[in-house]
Amino acid sequence: MSEAHLTMGAHSAPPMEARPFVMLSKKFAMWLFIMSDVMTFAACVAAYAFLRNASTEWPRPFHSVTNVAIMTLIMLTSSLTMLMALGAAKATDKARAFRWMLFTAAGGVLFTVLHIRDWMGMMDQGVGLLKNPWGPAAFGAAFYSITGFSLAHISVGTIALIIVAIRYQGGRYNADDVELFNLFWQFIGLVWLFIVPLVYLMNLAH
Amino acid sequence: MTTAEGSGMKKYVAVYVALLVITALQFFIGYRNAEGSQLAVRFLTFAVIETILVVLFFMNLGTETPGFIKFFVYFMAFVLATMNYIWTDSFRLLLFRVTGLGPS
Repeated sequence: MSEAHLTMGAHSAPPMEARPFVMLSKKFAMWLFIMSDVMTFAACVAAYAFLRNASTEWPRPFHSVTNVAIMTLIMLTSSLTMLMALGAAKATDKARAFRWMLFTAAGGVLFTVLHIRDWMGMMDQGVGLLKNPWGPAAFGAAFYSITGFSLAHISVGTIALIIVAIRYQGGRYNADDVELFNLFWQFIGLVWLFIVPLVYLMNLAH
Repeated sequence: MTTAEGSGMKKYVAVYVALLVITALQFFIGYRNAEGSQLAVRFLTFAVIETILVVLFFMNLGTETPGFIKFFVYFMAFVLATMNYIWTDSFRLLLFRVTGLGPS
């Protein structure tokens, strides 16, 4: 038996594998989750681009994108407030971090409400999953699936953020957990920055 | 707020303003250019610039180890490359529709 084995008595901690890429395992897991989510969004975007490109009469139904511009401003601002929360959490200023997380969650709620309002406007115009008054039936399915997937991320992410904020305030979570959530929130904000030009700005009615 | 935290926030605010400007530019181009094959390329270029800013500064990828950065970049390049397999079939369908040679 080697000397190393002899010195490892019953009271020693079990040998651990080195952390991958010298980062917390849960942070690495969050990066892997984000990378897998990128693939899912990429599949949605590729499907949308396929349909959009293959159609000669793709509809351009958006006369105004003011609502979308406000949603984008809210999303970008909530990305900043999340970073404020992370900065405060790293400085162990719990009250300030909690406050900024609530501001971010409020941004998420507002975004969700405006997104649903946008959808209701589309439904009022007769856009369904398999029908629309203008052109290829696939437009509705493509629009609702790509924006719906983003909306699902943001609305569920907002609920998750409230849980993280409460647990951080209660001492169950620390700044590392806030950092993990920051990665996710920045990612869904980034996805929205791809959806806006692809789905809305390229289909503006002129 | 500590000095280090304050300088970090200044950086974040600068990136936030840059993202706002790029997004405003996208809206401006969207309203100005009704048609144009270059429109998608312009929008994607702006979106890629925004991605680099967000990933490097807001997600702090720049502070990770070089090994992880390489792992992330190679993975993303692979995903983006594989996304492009759709174009040949997409253009084939478009050609069929325009020329009337294939299924409508």
